[in-house]
Amino acid sequence: MRFARALWGLGLAMLASLTMATERTPIVVWGLAPGPDSKGVDAVVREFERRNPQYQVKLLSMGAGEMNPQKLLTSIVGGVPPDIIRQDRFTLSDWASRGAFMPLDDLIERDRGKDPLTPTPDQYYPAAWEEAQYEGKIYGIPTEADDRIMYYNKAVFREKAADLRAAGLDPDRPPRTWSEVLAYSKVLTEKNPDGTLKRAGWVPNFGNTWLYLFAFQNNAQFMSPDGRTCTLNSPEAVEALDFMVKGYELLGGYDNANRFTSGFVGAENDPFNLGKVVMKVDGDWILNNMSRYAPDLDFGVAPPPVPDDRFYKRGRFADEKDTFITWIGGFSYAIPAGAKNAEGAWAFIKFSCSLEGRMLETRAQRNWDISRGRDFIPRIKAHRETNVQSYAEFKPAVPAFAAALKMHVDMSEFGRVRPPTFVGQILWDEHVRAIEFASRKEKTPAEALQDGQRVVQRELDAHYRYDSLPTADLKLPMFFGLGLLLVGAGLGYARIRRMPMGRMGRYETAWGYILISPWLIGFLIFTLGPMLASLVFSFTQYNVLSEARWVGLDNYRLLVGEERDNVLKAFGNVLYLAGIGVPLGLLTGLAIALLLNRASMGIRTYRAIYYLPSILPVIATATLWGWIMNPDAAKGLINFAWSNTLQPWLGVNPPGWLTVAEWSKPGLIVMGLWGAGGGMILWLAGLKGISPTLYEAASIDGASPNRQFFGITLPMLSPILLFNSVMGVIGAMQEFDRVYVFRGTTGSAGPSDSLLTPVLHLFVNGFNYFKMGFASALAWLVFLVILVLTLAQLRLSKKFVYNEVAD
Amino acid sequence: MPKELLFVIGSLAHWIGWVVLAMGIYHLVRAISAGRESRAAWPLRRAALTGLSAIGLFALAHVFTGGGKGVALPLAWPDMHPLGWVVLICAVAAASHGTGAFTGITPEERRRRGMSALVSLGVGALCVAWIMVFKHPFRWLTGWMTLTAPTLGFIIAVTLGTTAVMGWVARSAESHDRARRFLTQVVLFVGAVVFMLPLAWLLVTSVKEDRDIASTEGLVWIPLRTQTVPYMDPKNPVFEGQYQGKTVTAVRDAGAPGGKHLYRITRPMYVSGYTFEATPDQMKQVPSEAPLVTLTDGDLKLTGMVVEDLPDGRRRVSILTPNERKGEVKVVSRAEVEPVRTPGMRWENYRDSLEFLPPEANNGLVYLKNTLILVVLSVLGTVLSCSVVAYGFSRLKFPGREMLFKVLLATMMLPAAVTLLPTFLIYRQLGWIDTLLPLWVPTFFASAFNVFLLRSFFQQIPFELEDAAKIDGCTYLKTFWSVLLPQVKPALTVVAIWTFLGAWNNFMGPLIYINSQENMPIAYALQLFQGQRAGEPGLLMAFTTLSVAPVLALFAFSQRYFIEGVTLSGLGGR
Repeated sequence: MRFARALWGLGLAMLASLTMATERTPIVVWGLAPGPDSKGVDAVVREFERRNPQYQVKLLSMGAGEMNPQKLLTSIVGGVPPDIIRQDRFTLSDWASRGAFMPLDDLIERDRGKDPLTPTPDQYYPAAWEEAQYEGKIYGIPTEADDRIMYYNKAVFREKAADLRAAGLDPDRPPRTWSEVLAYSKVLTEKNPDGTLKRAGWVPNFGNTWLYLFAFQNNAQFMSPDGRTCTLNSPEAVEALDFMVKGYELLGGYDNANRFTSGFVGAENDPFNLGKVVMKVDGDWILNNMSRYAPDLDFGVAPPPVPDDRFYKRGRFADEKDTFITWIGGFSYAIPAGAKNAEGAWAFIKFSCSLEGRMLETRAQRNWDISRGRDFIPRIKAHRETNVQSYAEFKPAVPAFAAALKMHVDMSEFGRVRPPTFVGQILWDEHVRAIEFASRKEKTPAEALQDGQRVVQRELDAHYRYDSLPTADLKLPMFFGLGLLLVGAGLGYARIRRMPMGRMGRYETAWGYILISPWLIGFLIFTLGPMLASLVFSFTQYNVLSEARWVGLDNYRLLVGEERDNVLKAFGNVLYLAGIGVPLGLLTGLAIALLLNRASMGIRTYRAIYYLPSILPVIATATLWGWIMNPDAAKGLINFAWSNTLQPWLGVNPPGWLTVAEWSKPGLIVMGLWGAGGGMILWLAGLKGISPTLYEAASIDGASPNRQFFGITLPMLSPILLFNSVMGVIGAMQEFDRVYVFRGTTGSAGPSDSLLTPVLHLFVNGFNYFKMGFASALAWLVFLVILVLTLAQLRLSKKFVYNEVAD
Repeated sequence: MPKELLFVIGSLAHWIGWVVLAMGIYHLVRAISAGRESRAAWPLRRAALTGLSAIGLFALAHVFTGGGKGVALPLAWPDMHPLGWVVLICAVAAASHGTGAFTGITPEERRRRGMSALVSLGVGALCVAWIMVFKHPFRWLTGWMTLTAPTLGFIIAVTLGTTAVMGWVARSAESHDRARRFLTQVVLFVGAVVFMLPLAWLLVTSVKEDRDIASTEGLVWIPLRTQTVPYMDPKNPVFEGQYQGKTVTAVRDAGAPGGKHLYRITRPMYVSGYTFEATPDQMKQVPSEAPLVTLTDGDLKLTGMVVEDLPDGRRRVSILTPNERKGEVKVVSRAEVEPVRTPGMRWENYRDSLEFLPPEANNGLVYLKNTLILVVLSVLGTVLSCSVVAYGFSRLKFPGREMLFKVLLATMMLPAAVTLLPTFLIYRQLGWIDTLLPLWVPTFFASAFNVFLLRSFFQQIPFELEDAAKIDGCTYLKTFWSVLLPQVKPALTVVAIWTFLGAWNNFMGPLIYINSQENMPIAYALQLFQGQRAGEPGLLMAFTTLSVAPVLALFAFSQRYFIEGVTLSGLGGR
């Protein structure tokens, strides 16, 4: 094994070269992506390190942290969290409720007055500060404050001035109320003869409003004041959703509008910049791209339109103080519980969130952008004074952009935030689902919100029920299991002792057990123990951070009850893969093997070529195929071939592969066929093993090649068929790596969950939400399904598989 | 009669004419090649007859299709939908089989012919339905192709070629066999090309410039490189110097006290943007790469280099050719200049992809180190533990052995998912999160499949060897080590290779247990890289190539073991 020795040598050499000592205490920060263009952050880090030479800031991005809750939670649970995490503010409460983040009140109290950099509530927009709180404690220092305002295309307003006037609308000002928006949109929208859109006046959820903005305007609350009841379905929210639905109706429906807006790909083709969408409500993050790609755009800004009653101060809005309000979101810095260098983390947060740090960041970023020939428009920060200063210092030269920035800064004072609740993420997910259902007219707004409310409420109830549940002392079953094991071992030992054996026999027995002990110990620790533990977990509610509680059969009830749709979907997806993908893979492998078996030359080369793809790392293959299956025919290899052959011949348009629900699984299957070479090798070995005398005898009897194949080849190959198909089905049922890579960043597993698999579902529940109980129940279900399928195959095979040697 | 129908009849006559002509040529070839003694007169006559009828058909076609177009071929296939052809072929097949159904000798034969006629009819109907449903722009057997000398030559060459091949194939069983083998080779070759295409695409993309990747005119298979010329930029000079013991490229930022300057690093990527102070004599100016472009000035074609990108998007170009205008500087907009690009590879993608990694990754070496540690320890652990356990299960007799072995076999069916969560909690208790330990320690506790495989190999070794060793007074361990282990070397190699692949490709383990760059193996780093650099496929593909290269290298060196390995493990597993 010269090769292995060479590898060792290489490894050792590298080890030696990597021992770089660092004396400074590291501060590990997650979620700040250091990149070639993030010069502002770099400047802050370097200045901080200059002032605090005892610290070294380590920015870790590459997906760790930020939007990957699984990484954050495993690191906290595992006792190795980062020191700082940059976290979306509305999810802070979610984490805080599980005790995952450190409350910062004590630190603020300690340093207030002593350290001028200490953040205090009065420096921040009230909404942003409020959002970072949970049960009266502050868990993160807000960084950005992205509020939404209305953008409208003045040029189109002028172009359509006559029509607008005819409809009794003023073309010189933007709409201010909901009914005005709809009226303007009706006039400004233009359709093609076939009903598709040519220009959309206003697309409700294009830009960034969701339901939250409109609901806030209508004074809707999403949670009851005590936080125990979800009020997603309040009449105010229903009205707001109804308004959105009406907006979509004007455009010929939700799907029609989406087809139109999703046709513009890339920041340089933004439909608003192109005048294809005339009005939108969006955040300040769009300004930099707008100034880059549409510097000459003639646009205006206004506060987002509000309900008519609110604008005219009628009815329940008679005493309303603020006419126009907006919705604020953004990020914050938090310190995870158990951070090793909380003191350093706090020092870094203080510096980077202070006016000085913020201005340093803005200035450095601006200098960099200007040096690269780009315009720079500062982002809105949660720190109030920063915005005032940076507006004064970096006011955009173009008046329209200056006005937009000013409007964003001004509106920040009138921000509303998502309710700080530990169900924030679920509430968000469900509200998105409600918008879709209602806008698609599959449900009425009231029904859609009602259904969403039920899901959120269930989660709330489960949380509050927790305290009333009996504590599950996991030590008890553990000791019980251990005791049982010892008794079993003792009994076994006693039985062996009683056996009539010579001295040599005893010696051999002892050595036998010593030799198999690695497996025996491994089996007990890594298989039997965890299996039993998993069984126990499946009857509990357990999130690792707090103690487990017994819930009886609730987890299993969930599997067949409220979670049934997801579970069925997951199993349906893998059955699809196993039912279509595995046979196709077997056929491909067999076909190649048959050809190779017939070939007279180059077998070794061909064999290597066909086999090679099957040993490549799955992640590498998935990464490669993600690009090969790019729906754009100018980029993706498959669609390039498709658009040059099948499209002109059969008139079938190339599919969207992984971006479309119907094609994502076929995509996986096609990708799997590339790895059919693994099975091919087995088929080939089997074919070589068939005695030629069988064929000779058959041809003498006058059997046609077809008869020979079905009469000799296939039966002789049946053991391999069984082996390949059992392994293939087991593999398909446990599909994980590829779907994890392909699922995208949206949180759902592929388009409309079309890539959701049981193991992925288990992984997400186990490691993203740490619902150990539910995930364990799911694991057992996966086990049972695989067991049943395998046994069924083995049983079927008894009928068909030819066994040369009868046991 | 309607004009279209006439045209169809004419076209058909024309095409049948071609087929008949081909038949005539075929007969002629056979008549000539049949040998002197057997050269009967009638194949020749047949050839003449078919030739004549072909000419007749052509004439007919000419009349029916309206003629008047000079020598032209009423042509369908470049113009007609391929489904149309399927329909036609199906119609012909249905007709011939249908008539055959009545003339069959046995009822069995009649039934078979009738069935195939029906099948052809069905396929034809399906195709027609397809055309109707998808409303494909469709024309039957129309379209003309002017018969020029090259096309005519081509058609004749193809006809002669196929005729010759068919004649040769039909001559004897041996040539029939040879043709079959040839066909097999062709199919295998085409298949191999298809299987290699994704890898070829991976390699090509990994050396493409962004411009080629973003190309909207289809895939680029031959990467082009933008030509650059070295240019000592007086305005924005680029320097090379030492920063923390490494050679870096930097630009001058501002003056600093003590006659020093502040330099900002541009390369390597992981320290880019950092500034440091240095005296001017510590830094050496190096030429920057100015892209070569062409532009037109009136009718004149100029070549120049871009010396500066202006903030407003325009570019300052210094003219290089023609000679009389050399040195002249023009300010032009981006659209007016066209970069000079020649076929070439952008190897810098590889360097860039590594330089984009976080500094902790030390250009990806850390990932490689972690993966190697993992692989080496896993292979060591698996080979050692599995062979010891397999030895125990196969060569020693002890009570409980059969029962325990059945348990071992049963665990092969257990999906890893069941034990996933509790094992996580075990490692958490041990404080092993964010270390490599959970990924390799379990390999020292033997895995069921490998034990099973090795046991069947141990069982094939005759007991005599062992007995001899026993008589010599060897202990069990000594017997195992010096007598039995050498006997199962091939099986151990197989186990080692599979463990190597498994450890190299392991993704879920690192995904759960590893958080920091310092402990990350390649597979997981690649997934994160993919998430972060999805917008830069050039770099992504370069990194992917780097991550698969070691596996490819191993495969190249030990292909035999790989393939034997599959065979052994697969057949052992039945």
